[in-house]
Amino acid sequence: MAAAAHLGSHEHEDHHHHGPPEANRSSRVDPATLGMMLFIISEIMVFGAFFTAYFFIRVVGGAEWPAEGDHLPKLIAGFNTAILVSSSFTLHYAQEAIRKDNRRGLQLGMLVTFLLGATFLFIQINEYVHVGFSPQDHAQGTIFYGLTGLHGAHVTIGLVLLLFVVIRSFRGHYSSQSHLGMEVPGIYWHFVDVMWIVVYLTVYII
Amino acid sequence: MGLEERSLAQTGPRPERPHARADWKQMLGIGIVASILGVVAGLLIDWFPIAASNEAKPIDTLWDVLIIASVPVFVGVCVVVLFSVIKFRMRDGEEELDGPPIHGNTRLEVIWTAIPAILLVGLCTYAFIVLEDVEKAQANTMEVRVVGEQFAWTFFYPNPDGSGEEIAATRGELYLPVNQPIKFNLQAKDVLHDFWVPAFRMKKDAVPGMTVSYRVTPNRIGRYPIVCAELCGLGHATMRATAVVVSREDFDAWLEEQANPPEPTPAAGGGGGSGAAADGKQLFTANCASCHTLSDAGANGTTGPNLDETLPGQDAAAIRTSIAEPSVEIVDGYTNIMPNDYEQRLGAEGVDALAEYLAEVTKEG
Amino acid sequence: MTARLRAPGLTRAGLFLVLGTLFCAAIIVAVREAYGYPVFADGGIVPKAQNAILLLSLLIAPLWFLVGLGAFDYWFYWAAGKRTRPEDHSGHGATSWKDYFRVNTDHKVIGIQYVVTSFFFMLIGGLLAMLVRAELAAPGSQFVDANAFNGLFSVHASLMIFLFIIPVFAGLANYVLPLMIGAPDMAFPRLNALSFWMLPIAGVMMTASFFAPGGSFSTGWTAYAPLSTSAPIGQMFFTIGVQFAGASSIATALNFLVTIITMRAPGMSFWRMPLLVWANFSTSLLVVIATPFIAASQFFVLFDYALGFNFFRPERDGDILMYQHVFWFYSHPAVYIMMLPGFGIISEVLAVKARKPIFGYRMMAFSLLAIVLLGFTVWAHHMFVSGMQDWIRIPMMVTTAIIAVPTGIKIFSWLATLWKGVLHMDTPMLWALGFITMFTLGGISGVVLAMVPMDIYVSDTYFIVAHIHYVLYGGSLFTIYAGVYYWFPKMTGRMFDERLGKIHFWMTFVSFNATFGPMHLVGVKGMPRRVADYAEEFAAWNLFISLSSFVLGLSTLVFIYNMVASWRGGRRASANPWRALTLEWQVTSPPPVFNFDRIPTVVGGPYEYGVPGHVHGIMEPAEEARPKQAAGASSAEEGV
Ligand code: HEA
Ligand code: HEA
Ligand code: HEC
Ligand code: CUA
Ligand SMILES: [Cu+2]
Repeated sequence: MAAAAHLGSHEHEDHHHHGPPEANRSSRVDPATLGMMLFIISEIMVFGAFFTAYFFIRVVGGAEWPAEGDHLPKLIAGFNTAILVSSSFTLHYAQEAIRKDNRRGLQLGMLVTFLLGATFLFIQINEYVHVGFSPQDHAQGTIFYGLTGLHGAHVTIGLVLLLFVVIRSFRGHYSSQSHLGMEVPGIYWHFVDVMWIVVYLTVYII
Repeated sequence: MGLEERSLAQTGPRPERPHARADWKQMLGIGIVASILGVVAGLLIDWFPIAASNEAKPIDTLWDVLIIASVPVFVGVCVVVLFSVIKFRMRDGEEELDGPPIHGNTRLEVIWTAIPAILLVGLCTYAFIVLEDVEKAQANTMEVRVVGEQFAWTFFYPNPDGSGEEIAATRGELYLPVNQPIKFNLQAKDVLHDFWVPAFRMKKDAVPGMTVSYRVTPNRIGRYPIVCAELCGLGHATMRATAVVVSREDFDAWLEEQANPPEPTPAAGGGGGSGAAADGKQLFTANCASCHTLSDAGANGTTGPNLDETLPGQDAAAIRTSIAEPSVEIVDGYTNIMPNDYEQRLGAEGVDALAEYLAEVTKEG
Repeated sequence: MTARLRAPGLTRAGLFLVLGTLFCAAIIVAVREAYGYPVFADGGIVPKAQNAILLLSLLIAPLWFLVGLGAFDYWFYWAAGKRTRPEDHSGHGATSWKDYFRVNTDHKVIGIQYVVTSFFFMLIGGLLAMLVRAELAAPGSQFVDANAFNGLFSVHASLMIFLFIIPVFAGLANYVLPLMIGAPDMAFPRLNALSFWMLPIAGVMMTASFFAPGGSFSTGWTAYAPLSTSAPIGQMFFTIGVQFAGASSIATALNFLVTIITMRAPGMSFWRMPLLVWANFSTSLLVVIATPFIAASQFFVLFDYALGFNFFRPERDGDILMYQHVFWFYSHPAVYIMMLPGFGIISEVLAVKARKPIFGYRMMAFSLLAIVLLGFTVWAHHMFVSGMQDWIRIPMMVTTAIIAVPTGIKIFSWLATLWKGVLHMDTPMLWALGFITMFTLGGISGVVLAMVPMDIYVSDTYFIVAHIHYVLYGGSLFTIYAGVYYWFPKMTGRMFDERLGKIHFWMTFVSFNATFGPMHLVGVKGMPRRVADYAEEFAAWNLFISLSSFVLGLSTLVFIYNMVASWRGGRRASANPWRALTLEWQVTSPPPVFNFDRIPTVVGGPYEYGVPGHVHGIMEPAEEARPKQAAGASSAEEGV
């Protein structure tokens, strides 16, 4: 949101004299990008708190993992990981495309990214249905759903941001000169992907 | 445009301020005298409650050391502030005057970084030694299991016959033999509690799901309050008990008595009546026994009224109100600490069952 | 009427609030239908449908409210790729009091909204404290029952912390920080407005908890599990209220950081920033990194409470102490979140009122950063008696004690700033000096607490309550008073009544010490905290404390009267009544709508009082200012 707050003002330079004087730029970093970076730090800490819970339950408390009689679908989740990671590449493709003013490439790249993300979410929900234990059963279940669910929520937020970019790209926004509005949500999406790799490794693999 | 043209610039030679000649030696002198007075005052105050364990001494001494180390810091800061205010405050005619542009002094800054650092490391070291001292394991320790629940303590002693079976003391009194090292093993049934005997100086939380322990060696015969020091709900303030430190012989006699209690009197009413009553009894034992005495359920809590005595003569509806809305009518001599959310927690049927059960077992006659 | 319902504003927000609640009710009814639970009888995970509806509404309805208010309008247009409204006068400035009741993107309006709102909640919190003291005036039960008592101090502390100290600092900085660094506004004005509007939501939620079935939340401001996961529904007003306060605080911190990094005026290098800016920079780092932890801790509670999760159920492998670790990993840094901005204010006030440069400017900035770093390494000093592993206590004791070193550097540097200055003993200065002494006392009792064996004895007693109030009242609140008096002329264009200001100070100073000083005594004597009833031996002191606290309450009213009366009818303030150098004083009082017609240029340090011919900022753009750069101006660099 921080990012979005800033983006609009770029596209309306013509109204300038009604508004405040242009602020001095005391840093080379773009404000929206910086805001997104700081927001991601906050997000990492949210995950940090959930990982703390995981650490206490599994390591300090020494609970069996996964709980007796439960199985985690490592393979399907691994496949799902591949889907999510590849969406980072398609996103990158879209970004490269608009740098060269290739609108078709942008639209295609964004659409595929969005669909890959949605597929990931769908498979994740499907996994919840079939995994065979619930968060109410035991603390292992709680933190399994806690971590993957927290990540799922972030995928959802990311998808909403991507959806905006998709809409705007079909409405003719963005150009090689001005594409901050897709770069910034892009940073977020990459973060969501990287975070998933960490979650996958700790929850399913280790 | 409404803007000031530029910042004010200060110029011109600085006039002398004869009244503001600062003598830091004078200030140091005042500071030292004031600190000594402060430390003496701090040491004269009778801070602590009575001390009744070996652990109290080192901790009380640590307190004195902390007073000696920290009062001068506070007094020093105050003296500098007051001295500056008196010496340097603006007089008439100095409205436009500025102070000398002193930006810093590296030597001074090193000093006031180093001295507190050394002082603090010293204090930490000493505190560490005290901690080791009060927590070290002793030979032939007696272990007492302390169980906290809303809002009462129960104490379990090892059986002297070596059978491994524990002896429970339920009357809110913790008996301890004097000069016997004790290890308390704290447990909690519902939420966090904290087992604290101020006279022993030590405390720790009782945490559901784990056993936390600490040691003390009581060294003074007498009765001392036990306080629950962790917020545990409505009755937190009333979760008190008494630690009774007695001689070895008295303790052994007491333990003997606990191990072989006199025959319990047979239950008054019919316990196994209707389904609701059986249900009610279960609910009662789980929720109410810690505060109320009721012979039919074998409950002997003392926080709330003794229901064997107060309920006969009341009908189920009246009892129901007492449970669902305990604050409507407060029994004389008690405060309003009975939880008022049982209707939420147990549901309407639960409260009904309780009321029926209570009405049945306390029926007169 | 329909027009008013359609235009963004409080009316539409009210309508949306109702719609949002209905929406939540519909969801719950639908879900309960789907799972086959009876809709209006007991059963299901949250046993009562009305509780489930209440809970969901607490989470969701405020968002509807914000949408109704218009806080998201811009983003909705942006997201749909439509034309957005440009940033211009329409969202800026306040011409009537009504402008304070809508989404306004002007940092000066938001600053005032923040300050006034948080003082409003301070009065409520203070009133609750008065009730606490009334109950404690004598042993036994006076006015309230145990449940209400626990609710009183819990809501008292939560309002004071989350709705007063933290946001009031954000509000003051919101007003003066952009001015100080020569920026026309904050980096993200709309996010700024959103941050503000989340506050009243949190505050109203916490206050309204008294009307919840089963009473308000009553587990202290720390809300330890599992007490909080098994409490009546009022607990959720805290759990969810904190989420809004926390989100607000993170958003503001992010805004400050970006503003400070990217929007400083030409010439305003990091080493020329006023220390208030440094202080808010450090605080914002703390907020961005630490606040997510309290959000998570309250999510855990929410999940355990509402959905039957097992974070804190030991019989199912949950871990109760984990709550405390996560909670204090935020809440210890939070105490510095509540102190560092105050350090910044004191540096501003002292330099100006002593007419001297801040002594050791760079060390002042470094010590802030040192506190930020160390602040993350001490959380478990709140858990010395919690039953956690014994070995953690020693490193935590050492790091905790070491924090006194950078703090000491600050105290000593302020003292050295006073030395040989020309001290203007007016109201802001009195508060600043009061702060230095009282905070030192509070800090020292903190060091006593850091010593593990000592803490084992005094933890959870009134000694802690004394520490809390010496650092939070004598520390944070004194700096807030200093700051409010200091910037009052700038923010309102009026001078406050100096005589009333002095009365306020002395009355507070004396009754503050009479209230909280004796708490050290009764604490060490063995009186536990958070109790409605206590042993007979403490009766005399408690009566004395209660009477003093009522005087303390009255002294607050003197302040409120002074502020209200002076705002309405005080003498007009000139642009720079204190002869200060920093940029906010170089524009009119109150400042023009966009702060500066042209961005000023900074040519020297902010505190060069007594340096002949010194200038900090020039009210001209860089190109024109450069030739005029004064000769003595660069002394700030060698200054330290
Ligand atoms: C503004 C808020 C604030 C601040 C700044 C502090 C600052 C400090 N606090 Fe405090 N603290 C609280 C707010 C704050 N605290 C609150 C609200 C609680 C209770 C929470 C609850 O349970 O409800 C608490 C509880 C608390 C505890 C837990 C007690 C317990 O529950 O058992 C401890 C223990 O170590 C502690 C220590 C410290 C220390 C060492 C500092 C240090 O940062 C202080 C450093 C400052 C100085 C020391 C003074 C100036 C220095 C000098 C003049 C230099 C020379 C000094 C020496 C050599 C001593 N605090
Ligand atoms: C910034 C934080 C802050 C501030 C400013 C205060 C201010 C005050 N606090 Fe509080 N307090 C805390 C933070 C704060 N407190 C915290 C964190 C706790 C721990 C809670 C916990 O255990 O979880 C606590 C706990 C606490 C307790 C311990 C409760 C207990 O453990 O049982 C007490 C008891 O005396 C107390 C008293 C007071 C008083 C008298 C004031 C006074 O200074 C208030 C003065 C202000 C006013 C009174 C408002 C203005 C006046 C009016 C609105 C008019 C009405 C009044 C009259 C006509 C007289 N506080
Ligand atoms: C925290 C301790 C506590 C618990 C737990 C508690 N009570 Fe009480 N109870 C009290 C106190 C104190 C009173 C007296 C004050 C009052 O009337 O509210 C009381 C009063 C009563 C009365 C009224 C007695 C009379 O003489 O009229 C009844 C009936 C009662 N309790 C039943 C229960 C039942 C049933 C439960 C469990 C579901 C229960 N209590 C749990 C403390 C407790
Ligand atoms: Cu048990 Cu407080
Ligand atoms: Cu702390």
